[in-house]
Amino acid sequence: MENKVYVLGGSQTDFERNWSKEGKNVIALLKEVVSDALVEIGLNYEDIVKLNNENRVACFVGNFIAEEYIQQGHLGALLTEVNPAFYGVPSARYEAACASSSVALDSAITKIKAEEYDLAVVIGWELMKTVDSKTCGDILGRAAYYEKEGKGIDFPFPKLFGKLADETIKKYCLDENRYMDALAKISVINYSNAKRNPKAQTRKWFMDYDQASHRGTDTNNLIGNRLGISDCSQVTDGAAVVFLASARLIKELGKDQKSIPIVKGYGHRTAPMLFEKKIRDNAASEYVLPWTRKAVDEAYKRAGLTVDDIDVFETHDCFTSSEYAAISAFGITAPGKEYEAVESGRIDFKGDKPINPSGGLIGCGHPVGASGARMFLDLYKQVSGTAGTYQVRKENGDVPRNGMMLNIGGSATTNYVFVVGKE
Amino acid sequence: MQIHAVTILGANGTMGRNIAAIFASFGSAQVYLVSRSIEKSISAKEKAYKSVRAESVKKKMIASDYSQLEKCVEKSELVFEACAEDWEVKVDLHSRISEVLKKINDGKDRVICTGTSGLSITKLSELYSEEQRKLFMGMHFFNPPYNMTLCELTPTVYTDRTVFNEIFKYGKDTLYRTMVEVKDSPAFLGNRIGFQFINEALQMAEQYKYNGGIDYIDSILGPFTGRAMAPLVTADFVGLDVHKAIVDNLYENTRDYAHDTFILPDFAEQLIKENRLGKKSGEGLYKTIMHESGVKIRQVYDIEHGNYRNVMKYKFPFVEEMISAFREGDYEQGISALINNRSQEANICCNFLLKYILYSLETARDVGYDIHSADDVMAAGFNWCPPLAMIKAFGGIEAFQKLCEERLDSDMLNKVHFSELVEEVEISRYDYRRFIKAKY
Repeated sequence: MENKVYVLGGSQTDFERNWSKEGKNVIALLKEVVSDALVEIGLNYEDIVKLNNENRVACFVGNFIAEEYIQQGHLGALLTEVNPAFYGVPSARYEAACASSSVALDSAITKIKAEEYDLAVVIGWELMKTVDSKTCGDILGRAAYYEKEGKGIDFPFPKLFGKLADETIKKYCLDENRYMDALAKISVINYSNAKRNPKAQTRKWFMDYDQASHRGTDTNNLIGNRLGISDCSQVTDGAAVVFLASARLIKELGKDQKSIPIVKGYGHRTAPMLFEKKIRDNAASEYVLPWTRKAVDEAYKRAGLTVDDIDVFETHDCFTSSEYAAISAFGITAPGKEYEAVESGRIDFKGDKPINPSGGLIGCGHPVGASGARMFLDLYKQVSGTAGTYQVRKENGDVPRNGMMLNIGGSATTNYVFVVGKE
Repeated sequence: MQIHAVTILGANGTMGRNIAAIFASFGSAQVYLVSRSIEKSISAKEKAYKSVRAESVKKKMIASDYSQLEKCVEKSELVFEACAEDWEVKVDLHSRISEVLKKINDGKDRVICTGTSGLSITKLSELYSEEQRKLFMGMHFFNPPYNMTLCELTPTVYTDRTVFNEIFKYGKDTLYRTMVEVKDSPAFLGNRIGFQFINEALQMAEQYKYNGGIDYIDSILGPFTGRAMAPLVTADFVGLDVHKAIVDNLYENTRDYAHDTFILPDFAEQLIKENRLGKKSGEGLYKTIMHESGVKIRQVYDIEHGNYRNVMKYKFPFVEEMISAFREGDYEQGISALINNRSQEANICCNFLLKYILYSLETARDVGYDIHSADDVMAAGFNWCPPLAMIKAFGGIEAFQKLCEERLDSDMLNKVHFSELVEEVEISRYDYRRFIKAKY
């Protein structure tokens, strides 16, 4: 039998904060999030030192593109500036655009499973508010095939996900109004969920259905063809840390194995980089994003679970059109019928398949390299019953048993899925 | 309590229209904008939605004027008065509302709120009949309300407690405000603490005019001390006339140990006389001029010479140390740099922060109901590091106590019953780290 990987918990920074405005650099960001995470899980830097003396701990850093935002590379080694406890700790940076910290998680999980280490520190982060929004959009364009899809284009990603909206309507011959209406509702659900999350970027912002469904106004201008500002996640600074542990360490810490969430499965698939090729590639599939669906499907298989077993989801709503496609990829509805889950309230905070109780990327925020780790941490909080003001409960009052997350990089090019749950 | 419609009186003012937008957005209420002319209300409606960044609220606003007062009030469950801070104006207006309520007399409860920041709420409520008074209270928002979520809610002796609690809950759960119950006391809680600090900074600017005065003090109490804006920049932003109204009111009507710190310095009186009120009148404590080359130059009022000169770029060793520590997230080290440096500037800075904590906690006792209320008002109304969080930044209650005993006047400590006060201190619900900036 495969070795189990336990999730000890972690921490995220307050995504409302603008670290450049505070005058603080990446070291301040990392010091805060790592020390807060240690407090959360009841360990300290001395424990790291002790484990490191026996070569039992390693760090996995997820970040997309610090070279552009803060002119910094070599991000695994940068942790030695956070605390001397990291001197000597094996550490490296992992990158897959907005799915960067999922690759870091994947590597960490693999190392624990292989009994190479007993403790893995997974840190996802991005500081994006160092540049103006147009420059930021251009930098993010490097998550696509830059020369063909990014260079010289203002805000390339909203446009690519606007195309995803077009393709979705076309593929399923959807009523355009019904589809756009579902996207507006997705935005409103994410904004209202964020109101419950004390670390969400938009927790004080106002959004309602009327505002989200009227695109092309002064305060909701069109940015990606048919998509308005209300359909987009915002530029965010932030970091999230997750600690993973082996069964051996859990025993040493004197924790009850049954009470600690474990990683139950994962899926990882890469779709064609160019959006046009992606769409050509999906012709034979009933899914608009077949590789996304495949990653989900494989995560279910590895976990030995189906959609019926999942009580909470965190998805990559970089745009409302990506959350829309995720609904059928998760198997909540048949492909082409996603609007049903939106209209019926199934994906609401109190629905039977709640998506993004945290507020998601639109509501909680999207520091790109941190998002995968943030989602994973939120799954941990939900299944361990520690999500506080945004704790989801099943109809019978229980906390969720299993949660699933989908983290994508580029225009749904890299697709990462994890299932976290209780045994 | 279900609030479907709200009438805002004085809707053409900045506060009036931005508060209207809060009710129309988060509250999803129909809002009647009442100003002296319909044109003013129309223009307020055109601006108000921008403050909450949502055109959708525009259609919830109905421009009106005082000739329609009865109709507006009749349709509303809540009437909010946001007109000028002038006793005569307010008396006239509240008497009219009272008359209108008598005329309507449909048995429906209507809550009347005043947005006053300084006048007596109890006296205003006495303009109403005994029955009407039960539904009267103070509801004090901060500027700009979309960003500053503080709302101080003040009952009077006549206020019906059930209704008060319902409005408190409505503010918290529906309008997403940081609701704080405060007593009907001059300037309430947030402004009393905030403007005490700012006025003492103004007094210090005068005292240290040979060191540079205004920009000198601002460089000592800047963002690295737990605020987004230096205190005298804030005074300039608020307007010296508004600042004067608040501190004069506090000087006249309060008698606490910090009484003398509410005296407005002469140079500020003079600037007000010359209509140099601050940002809104183009010049005040600071001004920005355009050089021939098109470069903007920031200038400051030089108290000693009575003219404007370029702002000086002060660099103090203790601040340099603090900023470089905060930049990398070493808060403890930054605070140690402040405590261990015994330069004149570091002493001024450290003592100011200690006195701020002390005054906040003492005033929360007097005007609030809970020690955490001082934290809520300073975080959500001023965006300043709240006092209890500041204690944590100083290394906790014992370290704070020791510093106060070492550095503050023992007379002052006796007056606030320091040892009792210290015992009441609780752990802050706020994280000090986000408030302390790595900047001058």
